[in-house]
Amino acid sequence: MSTTGTLTSADFTTPGRRAHTPNPSRTHMDSTPGRSAPAAQPPSTLSRVLNVVRVQYVNTYIFVWVPLMVLGGSLVISLAIYAMIGADEPMYGGGGQAPLWYFLVAGIQAMTLTFPFSQALSLTRREFFLGTMLAAALSAAGMALVYVLLGLLEQATDGYGIHGYVTYLPWVWESGWASAAVLVFALVMFFFVIGFWFATLYRQFGTVVLTTLLIGLAVLLVAAAFVITRMEAWGDVVSWVAQLGPFGAAGVIGATTVVLGIGSLLSLRRATP
Amino acid sequence: MTAVIEVEHLTKQYKGTLAVDDISFRIEENTIYGFLGRNGAGKTTTMSILTAQNFATAGSVRVFGEAPYENRRVLSRMCFVREGQKYPDDFTPAHALKAASLFFPHWDEEYAAALIEDFRLPLKTRISKLSRGQLSAVGVIIGLASRAEVTFFDEPYLGLDAVARSLFYERLMEDYAEHPRTILLSSHLIDEIADLIERVIVIDEGKLLVDRTADELRGEAVTLTGDADQVERFIGDREVLHRERLGNVAAVTLLGSLGQAEAAEAAAAGLERSPVPLQQLVVRLSRQNESRRSGAGQNGTPRSRAPRTAGAGESS
Repeated sequence: MSTTGTLTSADFTTPGRRAHTPNPSRTHMDSTPGRSAPAAQPPSTLSRVLNVVRVQYVNTYIFVWVPLMVLGGSLVISLAIYAMIGADEPMYGGGGQAPLWYFLVAGIQAMTLTFPFSQALSLTRREFFLGTMLAAALSAAGMALVYVLLGLLEQATDGYGIHGYVTYLPWVWESGWASAAVLVFALVMFFFVIGFWFATLYRQFGTVVLTTLLIGLAVLLVAAAFVITRMEAWGDVVSWVAQLGPFGAAGVIGATTVVLGIGSLLSLRRATP
Repeated sequence: MTAVIEVEHLTKQYKGTLAVDDISFRIEENTIYGFLGRNGAGKTTTMSILTAQNFATAGSVRVFGEAPYENRRVLSRMCFVREGQKYPDDFTPAHALKAASLFFPHWDEEYAAALIEDFRLPLKTRISKLSRGQLSAVGVIIGLASRAEVTFFDEPYLGLDAVARSLFYERLMEDYAEHPRTILLSSHLIDEIADLIERVIVIDEGKLLVDRTADELRGEAVTLTGDADQVERFIGDREVLHRERLGNVAAVTLLGSLGQAEAAEAAAAGLERSPVPLQQLVVRLSRQNESRRSGAGQNGTPRSRAPRTAGAGESS
């Protein structure tokens, strides 16, 4: 069985297509009747992980079409608003964030929809995790590419001819297209891992624990905001982020994502289908 | 015989309930097992732990000599098909079978195609739209075509109609003859699988009740039918598992077997000897276990003797 290539519906339409290809393991076993199936060389972890990616991409909605639809939708809405405003100087908006947030949902779905089946396929939890993260990384790379292309288009057309910018945001592009790509990639993975981890915790502990956790997290964030406000340190925070630059921000987000990823793998190792 | 699975003192404690209670057994290579017990007896929990899908509270499980948890070498040689398996949304049977073909090293595409035809499984309908029988067929086909060295069928055939079920039993036996492997069939339709299974493991309320060959188990009891007075004469001090009487004719199921002389005597007295269906035996043993637990003999067997424990062979 090949381990590369994509799953297409064509793979499934003709179940009898291999009828004339003798199965090597079958011929072998026919020659030794009464013996049990020999222990085949266990497939390598890498090939199994890559096959998890293929399984995750059977449903192209999660990783391809829905993020593109969300981006397309927010682009149209943003442009409609820009057109109504009709300013002469460049307009920047946050509509480009929308697909990034969607990856919270993608993370939840990749976990809840596929994990029970992955166990039926006799996968280890680590294989499932690595394959799913790799699938998300492919999608994140695709999103980064789309953002860069749209950003270049926006630059070339002076914001679609109406000074409206959705993906080309000056701070993000501070260090050129590469910084935009890296930041988008990091954000997609960040949201995906959070969604994935929450779904894992939900499966393991249920609604009450997860809700408590989310409330606790919200309280922490509010407390942090409160402290920053009391210390009148928002200016420092803003200048720190500005100083960080897009690469620095991507680094911070990336490091956080790795920590979250380790946490979600540890949770997954205790999850049951 | 080589053990492919060794279970020692396996215990699983859920909040408040003891699902599996200190059970130990071995699963031999190339054997079909009946893994029997009532609903909630702990069958699914046990199989989930053997396939590392669930976790033991205590005790140890070794599969092919290794711990199965996060163990690719071991897991890739096993297939666990469960009733009510969840599949990703939007998956069709074709997707599910394709995915299975990617991960089971002994997968036989040709055989899978034949099974798809046998079970009339529509390949391009979304799994969420399948009938219960078709859904069961997806699991059954994965279990058979994966030809995993150890395959667990956790009642996936419950959704199949009678025709499809007998088809499953047939295909299983044919394929097992050609490709011997270890198969655990969990079911409470014991009569249906009685002819398939070579060894029987019965668990009840998380405890191991029976672990022996199907023939041994069948030899444990006999039913005598005939003139009531004659039948009574043969009971002796044997334990009566079941007693039926219609007018002057009685049918009594006895624990233990008849010696040669006794058998001849019984025949001379016009009594008919018949083997006891596996299902009846398992039901009796489970009930006995229950009444033993509740502390009172409520199963209507006045001659009940000491409680029987698993593996305590009683031959005469």
